[in-house]
Amino acid sequence: MASAVFHQTIGNLLSQQHLHNSGFHQEFGNVSVNLISKGFKVYTGLSISRKGGYSSGKRNFSVVQGSASQTSVVDPLSTPSNDSKNGFQKKSSEAALILIRHGESLWNEKNLFTGCVDVPLTKKGVEEAIEAGKRISNIPVDMIYTSSLIRAQMTAMLAMTQHRRRKVPIIMHNESEQARAWSQIFSEDTMRQSIPVITAWQLNERMYGELQGLNKQETADRFGKEKVHEWRRSYDIPPPNGESLEMCAERAVAYFKDQIEPQLCSGKHVMIAAHGNSLRSIIMYLDKLTSQEVISLELSTGIPMLYIFKEGRFIRKGSPAGPTEAGVYAYTRRLAQYRQKLDEMLH
Amino acid sequence: MDAGTLHNQIGAVQLHICSNDSGFLRKFRNSSLQCISKGFALDVKLLSKGICNSKHGKVRVTYTSLCHASVVDPALRTSLSANDYNQKPSIESSLILIRHGESLWNEKNLFTGCVDVPLTKRGIEEAIEAGKRISNIPVDIIYTSALIRAQMTAMLAMTQHRRKKVPIITHDESEQAKAWSQIFSDETNKQSIPVITAWQLNERMYGELQGLNKKETAERYGKEKVHDWRRSYDIPPPNGESLEMCSQRAVAYFREKIEPQLQSGKNVMVAAHGNSLRSIIMYLDKLTSQEVINLELSTGVPLLYIYKDTKFIKRGSPVGPTEAGVYAYTKSLALYRQKLDEMFQ
Repeated sequence: MASAVFHQTIGNLLSQQHLHNSGFHQEFGNVSVNLISKGFKVYTGLSISRKGGYSSGKRNFSVVQGSASQTSVVDPLSTPSNDSKNGFQKKSSEAALILIRHGESLWNEKNLFTGCVDVPLTKKGVEEAIEAGKRISNIPVDMIYTSSLIRAQMTAMLAMTQHRRRKVPIIMHNESEQARAWSQIFSEDTMRQSIPVITAWQLNERMYGELQGLNKQETADRFGKEKVHEWRRSYDIPPPNGESLEMCAERAVAYFKDQIEPQLCSGKHVMIAAHGNSLRSIIMYLDKLTSQEVISLELSTGIPMLYIFKEGRFIRKGSPAGPTEAGVYAYTRRLAQYRQKLDEMLH
Repeated sequence: MDAGTLHNQIGAVQLHICSNDSGFLRKFRNSSLQCISKGFALDVKLLSKGICNSKHGKVRVTYTSLCHASVVDPALRTSLSANDYNQKPSIESSLILIRHGESLWNEKNLFTGCVDVPLTKRGIEEAIEAGKRISNIPVDIIYTSALIRAQMTAMLAMTQHRRKKVPIITHDESEQAKAWSQIFSDETNKQSIPVITAWQLNERMYGELQGLNKKETAERYGKEKVHDWRRSYDIPPPNGESLEMCSQRAVAYFREKIEPQLQSGKNVMVAAHGNSLRSIIMYLDKLTSQEVINLELSTGVPLLYIYKDTKFIKRGSPVGPTEAGVYAYTKSLALYRQKLDEMFQ
């Protein structure tokens, strides 16, 4: 639909590359093309239909005329904006943040206090992770953060098997020199198709101290319902030798601000797969909740939550619709474009 | 069933108790009981190891040395020589080896080695299928590598296990990790299967080939060189491990950490990778380097060994649940299966 007629102008053309099946190097990045021919004019058209349908047109160019200068030849690949691989226009201040709480674990099923005990998912938890993956299959992910517990890691890995972009999550290993050396990748191309996964204990579930492994009923019988209710639902009363929600929030939010937010600032799309309390803590920070509000906040398991980080602010966008749910809608124009690219890629 | 009449004898009694609750086939070996009452004769009914009938525990009692009057400290085990009963029941434990299924780089035909790449949808299904095949074989402890594809394989497989114990990954990487992962209920501990992750069980480290496309690499280095690296015993890829080097650390780990568990009667599952498992099998089956090179392990198909009297008896792959004929590999395994069936009636 873009008929391209080029005038005699030399400028920078920012074009969105057309994606092909066999992998592409530039992810909606910026490619500068030097136009030096005479007699062409570029016609720009961005078509996004708001309701449901996406035009499966061939090529959409958004072209911005940069400076008109004469004759100097610019190397198409060497512009600084070439490296932004985040699905958006150059130096975007917009990035997607997905939060996923893992699904049912084997101790959830048995009604035992879990905390930081490393218990895996049940069959149901596995299915929840896959369902969650379907919901985010069209949302860009450049980096993944999980806790150091297998139930969150599995949730992330299972979810990503559904992602349409088909990049490969790779868990980073830093626990020793050898671990780091042994996990090195020696192909640039392969690295570009990888999504680093960083595991962090700071994203672990709230540590439940001496209640870990105890039956919830038993514990109520032993310590009294009220005490247990306090430990579970107060903001700052920890169970014996455990963490309060406040303590959990402190290390989780600190980690988020230190490590994750800078990624979002640089335009990287991030997914966090973690636990009820570590995620509530982060949401408390994102939504500026009070301690009273965060206590009442319940996060569904396996249902991803989307935030858009834009100009230093977190805009809550709710839960992406499942693929079978009526109406496909995009949260932002850029996400819509990303989705469109995926559609084109997979035809 | 057992009328217990104890004569005026003092001896050490070896109790073999099978309980039907959470201890399941727990064997209390070598507890000493001091019998000092008069007028009791012990009616001993010898039961072969492992038979437990549902409701009541059966007690197998063996007299060891007979001595008079002197009170023997119950905690002391007297020498086990003076009788005609085979004191030390033959230690038999099962060893399951599972190679993980398809990973995302397998699918893309890239050399993986120790890069921590997860499973594909197909790899997930393979893990679950593998789990169905071993759902009736006892597992007391699990060893995996430090890579997620093996760990996921183990966890997914165990979701199918009929005994329904809970695998718990043990954390040792720091004091805090250890402290934070503590469990405070004995009952819960009894229903747990410790999972130990070990880099020594990792896939062979492929050095500078990691991440490279197999075809590309052949074009770059030449088919022969690549074949050398992939299929020789002792030629490592640049900055990588040869199969020999991989074997060395995998088998050392197996002998040091895993074999003692089997020796103490624990049933073990090892979820790992093509080369680390071949290395272990080379040790179990006493293969030559030539033989191990040609050994191909199917992905996601578990291999069973019975460890008995310090020997490893290869038992092939447990049949899938839909396959005709349910058969047990050993009597103990048959009994275990029977218990599971009863548990679920």
